Amino acid sequence: MPDERLDGYAEALLAVAAAEGQSTLIEDELFRIGEALRANDELLAALSDSRFPIERRQGVVEDLLGDKASAVTTALVSMVVGTGHGGHLPDIVDAMVARGAATRDRVLAKVRSAIELTEDQKTRLAQAIKSSTGTDVEIRVIIDESVLGGLVTEIGDDVIDGSVRHRQSQLRENFG
Amino acid sequence: MTATIRRLAGAFGLVGVLVVLGAVPAAAVGETTGSCVIEEVGRAEDKYGSLDVLEETHQEDKLKKFGEDLEKCVEAPSPIIPELDEIIWGGAAFLILFGFMWWKGFPAVQRAMQARSEKIAADLDAAEQAKTQATTVLADHEAQLAGAKAEAAQIIEDARAQADLVAAEIQARANEEVAQMRARAAADIESARSQAVSDLRGVVADIAVGAAERVIQSNLDVDTQRALVDAYIDEVAGGNA
Repeated sequence: MPDERLDGYAEALLAVAAAEGQSTLIEDELFRIGEALRANDELLAALSDSRFPIERRQGVVEDLLGDKASAVTTALVSMVVGTGHGGHLPDIVDAMVARGAATRDRVLAKVRSAIELTEDQKTRLAQAIKSSTGTDVEIRVIIDESVLGGLVTEIGDDVIDGSVRHRQSQLRENFG
Repeated sequence: MTATIRRLAGAFGLVGVLVVLGAVPAAAVGETTGSCVIEEVGRAEDKYGSLDVLEETHQEDKLKKFGEDLEKCVEAPSPIIPELDEIIWGGAAFLILFGFMWWKGFPAVQRAMQARSEKIAADLDAAEQAKTQATTVLADHEAQLAGAKAEAAQIIEDARAQADLVAAEIQARANEEVAQMRARAAADIESARSQAVSDLRGVVADIAVGAAERVIQSNLDVDTQRALVDAYIDEVAGGNA
């Protein structure tokens, strides 16, 4: 998908969220949905499979999200799937979240964790990153049990890996 | 040469003619006994008138002189001393012949001898040149033979040196191949040993890490997870992450 079109969809989603006055909630829900799709290749392929009618794919979205997301979020996801770009939804959401953070003079920081972080932990992590890198970041947590413990923070192309999985890999390399 | 022979033949022919001409007076000088008697009788008659008168007058001395003159007509000529006229004619013929020979024959003979000498000298020179040339050719051939022998010896020596070099190269190559085979074998052995050690180390690592993972995962309760998150935040804040 061309960057121009991807940015256009991201801007449209962001504008709808702002218009509904639920930017934080919608961004957060869309971010979680995007990461869930990125982790589930079969579902992502099904949403972009042209052999299925669009109404069918949109019905799947509504069935999955249902009462788990706000109506606006569900409608936005259904709209993207309805345009035939369901397969690019994770990338569109990433662009939207990054653009939203930029409107608040921040940089998106994806944090992978095995457990949900408390607000205090998010705040302290943002402050720690700012003190370490001098960058104001907006924390987006992705629940990923494969990290086992600790956190993995991605800020653009930079990765700060403090996960138990990484430590185990280092241990295995040291033994090897 | 042919002209000289022609000149000599001409000279001898001319001499023959002169001899024939010179013999005519000699034949004329050699008169017969009868003619001699006739001449003596005629001479006596011119001198004494008639012989009958002498007999009649008994002039014995004159008759005796006449008889002696007649006896001279029947006397045999000297076998050694020729007659004077023969000497004169012979001497004249000899002088003429000698002069002619001196005039014509001697130069011709001298030229023939000179030509002969020159021819012999030329032949000798040619023979000498041929000998010199033969000597030169022989020397050249000997030099070429010596060169060919030296070249053959050099070729043999070169071939021997080349053979030695090839043998040395083959030996060196064989030694090198043996060394390479040994090195490869040693490398294979070392590689196999390293692989075995690595595999063993990997197995040990898998066992150890697996055990550690099981221990860690069994101990990763919520409090431990939060403690790990807090420790991570502290590390990032301290710039140690």
